[in-house]
Amino acid sequence: MDQVKHEYPLLYPLIPILLLAPFLKIIGWDSVDAAFLIVTVPLLIFPTILIIGQIFNKNKVWKNKWKEGGILALGALAVSLTIALWILFDYLYGSYNFTDQSILTWFEWITFDFLQSDFTISEEIRIIGVGIWIDQVTLMILFVATFLCFLICWFSMGYMNTDPINEDRNHRFYAEFVLFSMGMFGMVMADSFLWLFIFWEIMGLCSYLLIGFYYWKVSAAYAAKKAFLTTRIGDVFLMVGLFILYDIYGSLDFEVIFDDPSTGVAGALVDSNQLFWALLLLFVGAVGKSAQFPLHVWLPDAMEGPTPVSALIHAATMVNAGLYLVARMVPFVDVHYNGVSGLENLGIIIAFIGGITAFMAALIAFVQNDIKKVLAYSTMSQLAYIFTGLGVALWFYNTDHHHAAMIAFGASMFHLFNHAMAKGMLFMASGSVIHEMHHAHDHMNNEGSHDHDFDPQDMRNMGGLASKMPITATAMMFGSMSIIGVPLIGGFWSKEGIIAETWKAAIEYEPLMLIPAILILATAGMTGFYMSRMWLMTFAGEPKNDVVNHVHESTPWIREPLLILTVITAIGGFGLALLDIIHFLSADTDHLEMHGFLYTLEHAFLPSDMTTRIVGWTTILLSFIIGPLIAARVHGGKLQKGMKAIVPINWLVILSSKFGHQDVENMSKSQFSEALQNRLYFDDIYEYLISKTIIPFANLSAWFDRIIIDGIIKQVESISVSSSIQIRKITTGSARDYILMAAVGMISIFILIWGVNA
Amino acid sequence: MSSLSDISIELLIPEIMMIIGILAMIIMPNLGDAKIRIPLTNTSIPVLIGGTRFNQVNNPYIPSIIAIFTFSLSFIVSLVMIQGETNGNVGEIMEINQFTNLFSLIFTSTLLITSIATFYVMPPRKDPKIPKNSDSIDSVSTKINILMNNRRQVDFYILLSMVGLGMCLMSKSTHLFLLFVSLELASLSSYVLVGFYKEKDIGGEAGTKYFIVGSVASAVGIYGMSLLYLWNGDLQINSLSNSWSSMEILDPMAGIGMGLMLVAFGFKVGAAPFHLATPDAYSGASSPIAGLLATASKAMGFVAIMKILFIVTLPEEGTEAYWMIAIVIISVITMTWGNFAALTSDNPKRMLAYSSVAHAGYMLAAIAAIGSGLGTQNSNILIITAVIFHLTILVLFKLGAFLVLSLLEKEGLSHNMDGLKGLARRDSTIAVSMFIFMLSLAGIPPLSGFLSKLLMINGIVNISAGTGSLSSATILNWASSVNIIFWLAISIVINSAISLFYYLRIGLIMFFEEPVSSKPLEKSIYLRITIIICAIFTILFGIGPLSEILLEIVNEAAQSLV
Repeated sequence: MDQVKHEYPLLYPLIPILLLAPFLKIIGWDSVDAAFLIVTVPLLIFPTILIIGQIFNKNKVWKNKWKEGGILALGALAVSLTIALWILFDYLYGSYNFTDQSILTWFEWITFDFLQSDFTISEEIRIIGVGIWIDQVTLMILFVATFLCFLICWFSMGYMNTDPINEDRNHRFYAEFVLFSMGMFGMVMADSFLWLFIFWEIMGLCSYLLIGFYYWKVSAAYAAKKAFLTTRIGDVFLMVGLFILYDIYGSLDFEVIFDDPSTGVAGALVDSNQLFWALLLLFVGAVGKSAQFPLHVWLPDAMEGPTPVSALIHAATMVNAGLYLVARMVPFVDVHYNGVSGLENLGIIIAFIGGITAFMAALIAFVQNDIKKVLAYSTMSQLAYIFTGLGVALWFYNTDHHHAAMIAFGASMFHLFNHAMAKGMLFMASGSVIHEMHHAHDHMNNEGSHDHDFDPQDMRNMGGLASKMPITATAMMFGSMSIIGVPLIGGFWSKEGIIAETWKAAIEYEPLMLIPAILILATAGMTGFYMSRMWLMTFAGEPKNDVVNHVHESTPWIREPLLILTVITAIGGFGLALLDIIHFLSADTDHLEMHGFLYTLEHAFLPSDMTTRIVGWTTILLSFIIGPLIAARVHGGKLQKGMKAIVPINWLVILSSKFGHQDVENMSKSQFSEALQNRLYFDDIYEYLISKTIIPFANLSAWFDRIIIDGIIKQVESISVSSSIQIRKITTGSARDYILMAAVGMISIFILIWGVNA
Repeated sequence: MSSLSDISIELLIPEIMMIIGILAMIIMPNLGDAKIRIPLTNTSIPVLIGGTRFNQVNNPYIPSIIAIFTFSLSFIVSLVMIQGETNGNVGEIMEINQFTNLFSLIFTSTLLITSIATFYVMPPRKDPKIPKNSDSIDSVSTKINILMNNRRQVDFYILLSMVGLGMCLMSKSTHLFLLFVSLELASLSSYVLVGFYKEKDIGGEAGTKYFIVGSVASAVGIYGMSLLYLWNGDLQINSLSNSWSSMEILDPMAGIGMGLMLVAFGFKVGAAPFHLATPDAYSGASSPIAGLLATASKAMGFVAIMKILFIVTLPEEGTEAYWMIAIVIISVITMTWGNFAALTSDNPKRMLAYSSVAHAGYMLAAIAAIGSGLGTQNSNILIITAVIFHLTILVLFKLGAFLVLSLLEKEGLSHNMDGLKGLARRDSTIAVSMFIFMLSLAGIPPLSGFLSKLLMINGIVNISAGTGSLSSATILNWASSVNIIFWLAISIVINSAISLFYYLRIGLIMFFEEPVSSKPLEKSIYLRITIIICAIFTILFGIGPLSEILLEIVNEAAQSLV
């Protein structure tokens, strides 16, 4: 077995970054003063990598020592991470008072001071500043984003730089990657909806570029286009929503809006109907970004990008943007603090969309054989959980059930954290699998003779990898457990809360909520099935392809992020639950405080509320017992003879083979399965609709553009050109004529003056 | 009357520096070992002037170095003066305030950049070779060229310093006579600079034409001044202003005199129909000089116009200035003419010349808006701010564009659009900078050209849009009742749209066409840095905190003018 080559010396230039925060502290900065570095450093590194990469492309030192910009990108992200941690620390334990100054304005990028003399515009409207907004939700997502971006960048240096297909193109990847990260950091910290939107769009652009990174592949170019256009639909709605918000409040700054959401511009009372539409349109934007039904079609195709990109887009950042936007809607509906009442329907709609997406995505994930696509659908499904939770929270807030609302909101945000960590790791682990499969395959075929029929992402080619890739298998196991919600691990702590609160809303207050409640409960069981299926197909059983026997876990840079995230996934959820993170995230408490171990356990497993208890146990039963059990019956199995996995996962492999084997050959041939294979025909329906509506309209527009608009412009152009030629004839080049013209001009001036004054 | 000795000399430091620079440039190359023998004795004493040159001064680089040094010092001093908000009077003929400080800054920065560019366009060479009989014709002509370039270094930089001196003095003068004299000092020097390359037909012809038309304009202007003198008996601007405001009905003598001066200054700013010589002059002159004419010289004309129109003849709020209609019509004709003529220009220098005519039109529109008397004191200051801001940032992108042409000039490519073909492939930084300059000229956000245009249009619309009758039901009624000034804003917008065509064409040519020659551009390191600095500031002054700072300075300048 090859030894992993470590390249840690390359990181020595980055060591000073560790001293950055202490240094700034010593020279008297507050953590908040340094916050702008989180965005500006990546923003500056983006062109740096691009330019240096363009100049020194193929240069040996640049390639080996700087990893084609990877080290620079990692440095920038390390700065962001350091300062984010500093702010986090300051917020929790520091002396800085955030409640007074959670909003800082760095600079005013446009003031309209100079544009007005007589017309006075109110102070808030006049200045469009750039500032930061820091509260618990910001901090949590900022931490998730900086931390994961850092790890994914680390991972990319292993994944991207050793892949011959990326030869001499990696600087482009790192530049886009850093810009993307910058967009996410900026979006989370923005202190106005306008800036949120600007960074949102930067991310949209980068995701387009990154998904289409292999732009010479037709499928990748198509996927990039699809992702861009689909999210664009959402963005248009979002923009209209922002217009309406501006119309209501006369500003898009959080400070102005959240100060008192019930009164709009000039103290007018806000019409709940108008606000409802504004928020609903914002939600459509979020639906597009977070790939929820019905704008979910782009996400599976986005798997065409390199794996770190999928990890980045799906787990760490972009899809969370939509959630963040919805989380920002709380002050509008929180009737406890000046919210606008009468917005219950918003919460119900969000919960419905969440429930439907969760169920649908889980269903489709049943039959996917591409390891990354399973993860993509799982992402969709888990995000839908969070949306459901947020919808329920908004509903509770609006009906003044403050305590329940806080739990639902906090649980949703907590789930965001757990899911991001677990899913980021799962994508990286799947990347590791794909990467090694690919290498093994190339190796087997004597370097060079590429067999294009072989798909390194197809799980039907895998199996039995548990013995070959111990770290990856362990990581993937913990990640899957967290997603499934195995008790005590990661996602369990948050998923319980979401499901319980949804059921509570359904049973005790609003019967309509029953539908999302049932859907997400069923999804919990289905999650147990498809995640177990994925793990078992990949790692358990006998190898289904020769390639597997040649797989080694040997690429540098890939292990460390996996290990770190495994630890966080395994114990992070429990640890944070001990600290009562749910109440912290919903702004109930300002500080994390330690709860008793037993208290937390009791709270989770034996809550006093009967509904919660029943729902909780049902969830555990479905997701932990029934789902994985069925998966094990279908896909479980012993490893090949003589092969042995390491202890932490071996038990699982052996356990999975105990349940006998069930042949599902017939089931997979059913019509329903076919429909799932085709993703429930959503793409086909959309394509059909587009070809019937938009394409003819586009043709009409093209005709109009060509004949009418272009015609007018051509006409204008030819008139302009001919008059230009005429007018240039006056410039004869003879000084005599010039003086004559001047004299004519002078006389005309006098005639004019005389005419006016006489 | 106070004499020069008891005024604070530090107010005139930039000018004094330039005078010292001129003297140094005259004396330095003439330092030599000449001796004079005291009659009737055998002792001879060195007089230092004449004879064989000392080795240390036998260096063709000296004039350019002195010039660059002088201009950078004056630039820094102007900056310090702005920072310190220096103000005061010199005698009764000069006044120093933020307005003049800002314009000193504009002029000195333009001259500094021009002299840096000239250093590359007309490079001095150490140890030139004398052509021999055995040389081929080509090498003879290169050698002669080098010799001539070395020979005329001094002349060029002295003239350049004269231009600077004239401009700075002009902006400070409060007396029409000094104003005229310093204007002529700058103008006459610039005529010579235009025709400086007399061995080329086009240069000599351009200089002569520019001189003839310019002298006619000057003659008209001085005739106007004499009429004003007859009318008032004093050419002090304040005194003129007092007499003007006490005048019941327009005195023909004053009206005609003022009108004639307007014609003279109209020539300086390149207003139609007095602009006709400018395209010829720009295309005949070397690129840095053309840039100087398009920025500093234009700014000088506008300073003069603002002084006589705003200080002397501006009526009180609510009444129309008598020259309003004339300026409105001139400005519309100027911008339209400039843009249309630029559309089909094949010579980038002519194109830029016409574009600067169009820009003069925009600024005249703003001036006409002030003359309409619709605005309050505050809104007038706002519009003046827009004009001065535009003049300030023109130094960056208009001059920057000419600098790019200077780079090409060495290869003889600056006279045709073909020279710009495929520039992006030969040198991407320069092409991108040029594109930034073009976009800024067109007024594309977030570049500074956009900000100035926005300020101008906003100022005009602010004071005029309210004049339409709001009660009228249809837009047509409103349109017919709105003040004519409003249509100036519309005309600026339409003209900007037309101008986009030829600005963007440069981008098209640079980025999408095959280059004429594939060899990379000459290094010219300082010129290149200057171009890049101009491009960066074009962006920085358009958006962000730096633009705020500049706007504040300009606003102060505008306040101290009125």
